[in-house]
Parts: sequence; structure tokens; C-alpha cells
Amino acid sequence: MCDTTNTNIYLPYLTTVAEVIDETPDVRTLRLVFQDEQIRNTFSFRAGQFAEYSAFGAGEATFCIASSPTRRGYIECSFRSVGRVTEELRRLEVGDSMGFRGPYGNSYPIEEFYGKNMVFVAGGIALPPLRTLIWNCLDLRDKFGDITIVYGARAEADLVYKRELQEWQERADVRLVKTVDPGGNGPEWDGKVGFVPTILEETAPSAENTIALVCGPPIMIKFTLPVLEKLGFSDEQVYTTLENRMKCGLGKCGRCNVGNVYVCKDGPVFTAKQIKAMPMEF
Amino acid sequence: MQKYISEQNLNTLIDTLIAAGTRVVAPRMSAGIPLYEPLENSAEMIIDQLPRRSAKEAFFPVCEEIMSYEKEGQQVKINDVDPSRFPETVLVGVRPCDAAAIPVLDAVFSWDYKDEFFLERRRKTTIIGLACTAADDACFCTAVGLSPAETRGSDLFLTPLNGGGYACQSYSEKGEALITTNSNLFSELNNAAPLPLAAPQADKIDLKKVKSWLDGHFEDPLWDGIAVRCVGCGACAFVCPACHCFDIVDEGTEKAGKRRKSWDACGFWKFTHHASGHNPRDLQPKRYRNRIMHKFKYYDDKFGQTLCTGCGRCVRICPVGIDIAAIVEEISNKEIS
Repeated sequence: MCDTTNTNIYLPYLTTVAEVIDETPDVRTLRLVFQDEQIRNTFSFRAGQFAEYSAFGAGEATFCIASSPTRRGYIECSFRSVGRVTEELRRLEVGDSMGFRGPYGNSYPIEEFYGKNMVFVAGGIALPPLRTLIWNCLDLRDKFGDITIVYGARAEADLVYKRELQEWQERADVRLVKTVDPGGNGPEWDGKVGFVPTILEETAPSAENTIALVCGPPIMIKFTLPVLEKLGFSDEQVYTTLENRMKCGLGKCGRCNVGNVYVCKDGPVFTAKQIKAMPMEF
Repeated sequence: MQKYISEQNLNTLIDTLIAAGTRVVAPRMSAGIPLYEPLENSAEMIIDQLPRRSAKEAFFPVCEEIMSYEKEGQQVKINDVDPSRFPETVLVGVRPCDAAAIPVLDAVFSWDYKDEFFLERRRKTTIIGLACTAADDACFCTAVGLSPAETRGSDLFLTPLNGGGYACQSYSEKGEALITTNSNLFSELNNAAPLPLAAPQADKIDLKKVKSWLDGHFEDPLWDGIAVRCVGCGACAFVCPACHCFDIVDEGTEKAGKRRKSWDACGFWKFTHHASGHNPRDLQPKRYRNRIMHKFKYYDDKFGQTLCTGCGRCVRICPVGIDIAAIVEEISNKEIS
């Protein structure tokens, strides 16, 4: 962990790109290994935390840690190339050096989820913040009840983690419902066709002793929350993660706030109850 | 106990400190603009002029290096910037509104993660405050509960005396130490009367009432009304003694470069602009609302302090005449539902 006694809190760790995986034409996953052996052996984080990743010369970008804390020795991030830093990160090849500053923020209270059913609802590029928790749950499978994943994207090509979707689909202890928006399906498509909120309603997971975790574009979240409500989920049973532009990640630089809530310190994980109490500034 | 120091001895103190290798920062003319800047000698000091920017930059520079990198093939070497290299500094002639903002900034830079760039400079700096004898129409320290004689933030505080020289009171060990090590320059205070203090026209505003209104009015027509003129230039944040938002940017080449922390402003559109194109504060009223909310509600919610000391700089510099004091006063007069 970037400990709080470090004199320079803005100093990143150096990591080496160990693997490059193209998820979609513009979404890439990088597997990173800490160069310092001691940090490699001792680094730990919790599902839901985020970090500042640097491409030296371009700057830092904020993403969640997409791998599971149960998988030691490396961390992964997935990002879409849309800006200066992500374009530079995309140029990195296996063996290249990259900066990592974190982990920051709160996390999913996973211990509180033990013994419960888990419903993951994600859209498009927003699967990474849930994928960390999905694998965390799967690696501790006997601590959880039913695990349901409803994941959709505009089109087949936009689905991320395709190898893992295949694996989840084949597992008997996971229910994966994958969907693409109408018109996004090719001739080989073996999933559903429809928007995520509609497919979630059709899937109709029981709210009884269940936690729902939702990540997606604002429009998907807007239409998903009422569906969960209809299925009987209370706002305390529903979790999501917020993303706002950040620079420091440390509660100082002043831009990620939603009202008086700092996404970098108070979040990024919030319950629907907390989200509903916030002003519309995300 | 109060001491006396003559103007000449204050100059001697400054020159002695400079000769000993201490960085002395005071109001100084810089390309025609008064700024708090390091002095080469005491003759450069223009203690009677209010600097255009606040004293915060002695602790939180406009732009500073936080690390550098060098690339060689696939390897990167990171060079740390050791905050312990910051020089011992004495700030002289700091206005009460500027000095009072420094302890306010301590809160954000020291909570949870410690920003040693700010805190190490803080530890190494002695602040000599100066009672204010001249206010203009923009000054409103009295509106936010401070005064031209406010000593908060000062280690030593000077009060100009009728007939010349200053009454000098110490408020910390650092201030006491400065007197002790230069005791020949200080003498017993005679019974000279202080010069009349500045008298800002602003009446005291009930900041608790302002906050109560802000608590319930994130959405309000007020925001559109006051921000319609705002051009988002960010000048208000740059001259403010309490604004502390910053950016982190890399400057360099493929081979080598520096990472810097530099002032930023919530009035800028890009401040909260996501890479996806989404912007939670896409319009100027939302950005101006954040400015008021941060100063009079959010910072109070988090640290129990107000992020404004009434220096009036933002009022003086705003190209479209937005007056934060008038806005806060207007809010304080609203009915709280």
C-alpha cells in the first residue's frame, strides 16, 4: 500500500507490463507486476479500490483495480483509449514500465456480503469495477449463495472480458445472462437481445437475502434502479461505484466532489441510499 | 509581552536573516505588480502595499515539481523531490487576511495523507503578520468574522505605531525564537499609540445562517442569476488565499521530464470534464455554485472552517464584477425554509 508515512504522497510505484489483452477494438487490459520485490510480495488492496496509473510524459489516469485481491502478485486495469494518458498507456508493450499510485478509496464491504446471494449488473466498459468483486466472490465461492451476472453492451464486439464470460457461462455455480442492445447481435450470438434493465427484469433475481451491484453508464443506472426496486430490493441492498475526474486521489485536489462527498475518499463505492441523498453532480 | 521594533531595525532583521541564508518573502514589486516574493535585501520590501496574490504561494507554489522521470529503453527511473530541501523562510508583512488563511489550508493538506510539500514549508516558515491600516471598497474581512488586527496564523504580529515603528507581539515558539535570537533589534514598548486600523465597510455576516441556507439549496435559481456573467477565467481562485485546488501534469519528452502540481480552478470547464465527454459541472452556474458551496459549506462540513478570509482580491480582479461578499450577504438575508 502507498503508506501514509511516505514523505512524497504523489510518488508512484514502478510496475512492468506483464500482459496486454485487447478486450474490444478500443478497450485494453494491462496486467502489471510491481518491480520492487518487497512491494510485489506485500501489496494488498480490497475490491472496489482505485488507483492512479501513469504513462510517464503523458500523466496519470484514474481507473479501478480490475483484478481480484485474491489473485496475488499482479494487478490489472482495463481502460478505453479516449484521452492523452490512455492513448499513451495503449502504446505500452509487454516489458514496458508504468506507474501505479494506490490503492485509494473505500471498497465493497465484502465481509457483510458473506452468506448472501449476489447479483451483478453491468453495462459496457463498466464491468471492470465489478469484475474485481466477481472474482473475489468466486475465489471464496462457499461464502456466497447464488451468483448472478447480468452483463450487456451495445454490440457483441463491445463486450469486455470475453474469455471470462465464457468461463462464467460454463460454470455451474454462476448464472451469467449476457445481452446486447437490439441490433447489436451477430448471427452467432447465443445471448439475449435487449437493454440491460429489461433483461434484468426478465431475469428477475430474488431480492431475498441478496446484494445487487450495479455499474454502467448513467442512463443504464437510471433505468436499472427502478427495476431493482420493483424486484423488491431496498436502497441499502444496492451498491454502485461512482467515477469523477480525479487528479490526486487523496482528498486534496478538489475536483471529484459530489456536493460535500469526495468520491476519492468517501467512495468510490456507495449504496443506492447514499447516492440518492447526493445532489445530481456526477 | 509586547516589544517594539523600529522600521530601521525591521530592515536590519531582514538583511541579517538574508545574510544568514534564510529566505525572506515580503511584498515586493515584481514587473510592476506587488507580490509576496523572496527579497534580495530589505530595500526591496514595499510593506505598505497589498500584494496582488496571496501569501499561500510561499507554501503552495503556483507550479512545483513533485518528481521527475527518465526513460531508458523499457526502464523508467523516478527521481523523488525531497521536501526536506525547502529553505528556512520568514514571511514579513503578511496581511491578517492572508495569514489567517494559512491555518485553514493546514486542514486539507494534513488530513489523512500528508502533503509534505505544503507541510514541510509550513514547518520551516515563520510568519510575521502586519495589522492592516488601509482598506478599500473590496475588503470584507470584518464580514467573515476577522479583522484588520486578526493575529490567527501569525507567529509574530506587528502593529504600526503613531510616530513610526511597530508594536510586536509573539504568538508562537517560532515567533518567540525570532525575537530571542535578534533581541538587540527589539526594545521595550513605549506608550506610543497604534496607528488607526483599517475599517472595512462590510458588516458581519452570519456565516452559520449562510451555511444553513446552502445546506438546503443545491438547486436554486440564485445560481443561474449570479453566474450568468461569469466567464470562467479562474482569476478569483488564483488570487484567493484559501483556494487550493490543483492539477497534476507531466511535462517532458519521451526520454525525460517532470511531473508537476499546479494551481487549478473549479471555474474551468475542464476541471471536472471526464475523458468520456461527460461533465458533471458542464455549465458555469454549476461551477460557480461549487465555488460558493466549497467555501461556505463543504469545507465547513469537513473541517469546521470557512474557506474565505475576506481579502477582497477576487472582487478586485473579477473582469465582470462578481462580488462574492455581496452574494454571501444576499444568501444570509434569505429566509431559511
